[in-house]
Amino acid sequence: MIIIYLLCAAAILLGIRWMSSPKTAVRGNLTGAAAVLVAIVAALTAEGLLTAVHLWAALAAGGLLGLFFARRVRIVAMPQFVALLNGFGGAASALVALVVLLGAHPAPPWSIWAGALALLVGALTLSGSLVASGKLSGLLPQQPLMVSQHKLIVAAVGVTALAVLLWVGAAVSVIGVVALALAALLFGVLFASPIGGADMPVTISLLNSFSGMAGAIAGFSVNNLLVVAAGGIVGAAGLILTQIMCRGMNRSLVQILTGQTTSQRSHTPTGETGGKAGGTASQAAEILRNAARVILVPGYGMAVSQAQEDVRALLDYLEEHGKDVRVAIHPVAGRMPGHMNVLLAEVDVPYDRLFALEEINNEFKNTDAVVVVGANDVVNPAALEAKGTSIYGMPILNVHESRNIIVCNFDTKPGYAGVHNDLYELERSLLLLGDAKDSLRSLLRSLRAEREGSDLDPQTLEAAAASLRKAKRVMVVPGYGMAVAQAQQEVKRLLGLLEQMETDAKVAIHPVAGRMPGHMNVLLAEVDVSYDQLYALEEINDQFDDVDVAVVVGANDVINPAALEAEGSSIYGMPILNVYRSPSIIICNYDTKPGYSGTDNPLYQEERVHLLLGDAKDVLEQLNDAVASGGS
Amino acid sequence: MQFLWLLLVLAAAAGLGYKVISDVPSLLHTPLMSGMNALSGITVVGALLAAGTAVYTGNVIIGMAAVVLAAVNVAGGFVVTHRMLKMFHGGRGGRR
Repeated sequence: MIIIYLLCAAAILLGIRWMSSPKTAVRGNLTGAAAVLVAIVAALTAEGLLTAVHLWAALAAGGLLGLFFARRVRIVAMPQFVALLNGFGGAASALVALVVLLGAHPAPPWSIWAGALALLVGALTLSGSLVASGKLSGLLPQQPLMVSQHKLIVAAVGVTALAVLLWVGAAVSVIGVVALALAALLFGVLFASPIGGADMPVTISLLNSFSGMAGAIAGFSVNNLLVVAAGGIVGAAGLILTQIMCRGMNRSLVQILTGQTTSQRSHTPTGETGGKAGGTASQAAEILRNAARVILVPGYGMAVSQAQEDVRALLDYLEEHGKDVRVAIHPVAGRMPGHMNVLLAEVDVPYDRLFALEEINNEFKNTDAVVVVGANDVVNPAALEAKGTSIYGMPILNVHESRNIIVCNFDTKPGYAGVHNDLYELERSLLLLGDAKDSLRSLLRSLRAEREGSDLDPQTLEAAAASLRKAKRVMVVPGYGMAVAQAQQEVKRLLGLLEQMETDAKVAIHPVAGRMPGHMNVLLAEVDVSYDQLYALEEINDQFDDVDVAVVVGANDVINPAALEAEGSSIYGMPILNVYRSPSIIICNYDTKPGYSGTDNPLYQEERVHLLLGDAKDVLEQLNDAVASGGS
Repeated sequence: MQFLWLLLVLAAAAGLGYKVISDVPSLLHTPLMSGMNALSGITVVGALLAAGTAVYTGNVIIGMAAVVLAAVNVAGGFVVTHRMLKMFHGGRGGRR
């Protein structure tokens, strides 16, 4: 048995070894999973429990539950998910310790002591992780939560917990065990509450380590070699990550645990605003067009505004135009170790474009332009100069050394550390303030428009927008082109804008629009368009007379009136949506070529049609912007 | 004696673990952490043995609860790690 356990432990270590490169990491993870599976079967076999149905049932229940959550959780929710799993690990170890402490078997004293300690660490891991997970998911406020005399109370509860631990270790009693569990749970809550915001990577790493330690100690109490070994590995991993995160913030663990974060605000702005605060997207586009080497610097603001896709689009665009583009990632950017990397990997940014601080920090001085996307403290040069501020000495990305700096941050307020960012005042800085996603989109639009000269005619665009602003009833008709351009989100936005103006908006869906039955419905449901706004052809076709404007998004054959008149054409007789009957029509299609049926669409020639040609997403976005800006 | 032996195992595992984990690049820190989550579910082995050999019904139930929680960790942790690792790829070749 010992041999099997040792082999499993060795396999786990080998698996982690393979985690050191993204090329072999998948294999490493599978190896670890296989080792755990072997260990479970081996342990059950050795104890003659292979036929214990209740154990298999519990295993299956937990396994399926874990599988369900792991497949469903969105990558953006990963910090809170990881925090929750930490808590489950701690809870499991605490429960194992409970069984030992309350068991009928006489156990050696060290087993009891270990059980008591595992209960303490496991329980505080559970409650601490729940608090952390709640903060990360927004259920609890991000700010440090402290009661008056917080430190004193934490110390008192901690001492009480230790005293109860000694009591339980010396003589086990049910009351003692319950008291120990409660004290530990309370301690966990008190310990996690003051830690918030940018300190989260440290908390998560520490709790990760705790869950491992709880496991190792529980392994002592049940006298199981593999549990001890694996717990030890996890504990070590968590400690390493904690160390790295603390170093990344130049803060000691004690400072973070006691919530000493925003207390010191001594650094004030150095002078007049030198940076071009009201920078425009076209100024930024001009800078990027002239740059040969560009570095993108994402921060937590990218995660908040969900701007990953747009960062990738910018990266793609710049690379396609022959520029050297890299992404610089600070070790504590985001809310957990490696947060930015995961978000960017999800949107298909190749990892060889992602560089860690120490790999890239010397490159900023040779860089023509840096684009900061929602990063603040980690690029604040005050960390290098402003002695006495809370971030002095923290390693930063040397963005300020670059020739040009484009900052896509929400505002110029200090970040979590509470220290003003001098970057904003540099002459070389251009600030695009507001939601990072919006800023990046208009930046990209400027780049594309001026480079390719294929921008929409502003007059047609404004005429179309004006007709929408005046309309009382609008019909939106999506087609396969919406799916191709991935314009669902913009359709949703258009519906939202119309709703704000109290315009009645409906979506008319042709039965064969798209590439499968109900294609449009699924796409729109995914972006949260309510299904009672979606109407089938037969429900809505006689209402086109009554609407003021029909907006076509990437639909052609299914709205082609030739189907009614042009005998002999391939679509003659096919039911169509009666778009042609509305007084005003906006068509956002890629071009005016015939659709799949090969029959020309006479609508394109008509006076009352506003033809907005191009990528539907792009076009609709500009239309939405025009509608929104004209309304304000 | 048994205690000392376990202590030795703990020290060895933590030491070797520290060494191999230090080599994991910051690129993969999140999958590393979720993988470690899965691994901390190894408590499932202890939980199975505790639940399987417990005498009192109450203890069997507590033990089974531990099995469920630890199994959530093992399955959830490994699967989510797998999901994330599959997203990482280098170069333009592997793109959509």
